[in-house]
Amino acid sequence: MMKKRIAVVLMGIFAIAILAMGCGSGAKTQPVKSEPQVLNLFSWADNFSPEVLAAFEKKYNCKINYDVFANNEELLAKIQAGGSQYDLIQPSDYMVSTMIKLNLLEKLDKNKIPNRNNIVKNLQSPAYDPTGDYSVIYTWGMTGIVYNKKYVKETPTSWADLWNPAYKGRVILLNDNREVFGMALKKHGFSNNSIDKDQLDTAFADLKKLAPSVLAYDTDTIKQKFIAEEGWIGTMWSGDASFTYKDNKNIGFIIPKEGTVIWADTFAIPKGAKHKDLAEKFINFMYEPKISAQNYEYIGYNDPNEKAQAFHSKEFLSDPMLKVAVDDVKQGEWLKDIGSGLTLYDRYWTELKTIK
Amino acid sequence: MKKNWRSSALFAYALAILAFLYLPLLILTLYSFNNSRINAVWAGFTFDWYLALLHNRRVIEALTNSLVIATISTIISTVLGTMAALALNRYKFKYKAVINGLLYLPILIPEIVMGLSLLVLFSQASVPLGKSTLILAHITFCLSFVIITVNARLEGMHKDLEQAASDLYATPWQTFRYITLPLALPGIVAGALIAFTLSIDDFIISFFVAGPNSTTLPLYVYAMVKRGISPEINALSTVLMFTTISLIVIAQVLQPQHSTAKKKTE
Repeated sequence: MMKKRIAVVLMGIFAIAILAMGCGSGAKTQPVKSEPQVLNLFSWADNFSPEVLAAFEKKYNCKINYDVFANNEELLAKIQAGGSQYDLIQPSDYMVSTMIKLNLLEKLDKNKIPNRNNIVKNLQSPAYDPTGDYSVIYTWGMTGIVYNKKYVKETPTSWADLWNPAYKGRVILLNDNREVFGMALKKHGFSNNSIDKDQLDTAFADLKKLAPSVLAYDTDTIKQKFIAEEGWIGTMWSGDASFTYKDNKNIGFIIPKEGTVIWADTFAIPKGAKHKDLAEKFINFMYEPKISAQNYEYIGYNDPNEKAQAFHSKEFLSDPMLKVAVDDVKQGEWLKDIGSGLTLYDRYWTELKTIK
Repeated sequence: MKKNWRSSALFAYALAILAFLYLPLLILTLYSFNNSRINAVWAGFTFDWYLALLHNRRVIEALTNSLVIATISTIISTVLGTMAALALNRYKFKYKAVINGLLYLPILIPEIVMGLSLLVLFSQASVPLGKSTLILAHITFCLSFVIITVNARLEGMHKDLEQAASDLYATPWQTFRYITLPLALPGIVAGALIAFTLSIDDFIISFFVAGPNSTTLPLYVYAMVKRGISPEINALSTVLMFTTISLIVIAQVLQPQHSTAKKKTE
């Protein structure tokens, strides 16, 4: 009786194994046969419209291997360790400049990406890659003040509004060292890349005053907290604000008058990529006006493609959150790699988070 | 009277511990059926998120990767592990205790250290990261668990049956095929199931050694969380959790049943 049962189980495992071996070897031999037709894409999860990816695969008769990372440091580690495994990566702004410095990126062949001229002029050569030789902007946004109109009656205009005692215990800040200190530095009219100790001390002293009002330092579930109205006012990225607004119409979003952080995720090609040509075709494809309209409607971020505006839905174009970021784009300052200056940020940040 | 009070207090305590262990998992499962994108509000029952998973090509790819990697590494680690356990159990040789210890060490080494060292090894040997490195890594950490499980089974077995077989002129191969292997089989199957479960669940080591076209389910879930926790992730985690639980239940069921069967043969 028992033996039979074990035999059945073993047979089952064996059958699965053989099937899997078949699949495994199939998957291994396939790329060899069609080597030029594979694009190894390394990106954030859920960062493209699936239809757009499928359309590219069909048009160029290729297969996209879409692997995911969760933060820039993970991406950097993989690129440094794995060499030329990926063809196309999506570092954020500051990571682009780090990777250029470390000589990890291929120069893009601009002639093969004519559609990059469709991009809004002032996003074509941002501070992290001034010549635009190594990266093309993909998604971008700005950090601003998100607030719930039900509880925050007066429309905020300045970072100082977060310090209003009426919102005690209802303030949510991004769980990010540079974002929080950048905000406090901006409030005092300093650069958010400052490494001046006096300026940082001022920002830190001010943040210590804000700390008792803070409900949470949260990046991953900040949207939920504002939808559920646990938080009344706080800092948020424009793309997330647009997402939050869809589920709670009381949400408002502004860019404070003192200026703020502007950020971007980009396309870049790592050194030694085996399918550079296809990767460039992909970047170019993503900026065909119709395609990019379809893509950004899906991911819900600002479309940097000027020529795509005609193809966007009214709903997308009139999204107040996304519009705020476009209108105030000049208020943004890119975060730069501040090298060893980060040590002081880290120390103050740790200290700040222990205050309750 | 006092005794009664005591036992009910103990019962309540046990319940509290169980709740502590299972409440988060229950809530996660519950919200995978929530008809709203927000985890904070219950808005009715739906299967939509599970359907959405089925239509998501990336999820299916991650699932296929996980299954392929788990199956191949299970087979290889089970075969290697069983052979190692037999050798360790049957033969006496120099430094046996040391080798035994070395084989168990991977269980004690922090996963993050193992992941990092494997990554360093692969990049030093310029092995391109991908499915093959994932399989190698998974075999490495599954092996020890298979050896322990099979060894435990072999320790509990009496030598008399094998001796009786030799007495009756069975060749060593026949003894192995008809006596040793069937007796050790529950241990081997349990070991294989543990290996499969570990491989499906593994995040930390996979995180280090994954390359193109080798995103596994846990890696995918982790990357998705960065975009905000959606009910889709809850649904995916629920699927992952129930796969693991059913494998463990099968492994458990196989173990005790054989001990009764063993008694009968004795």
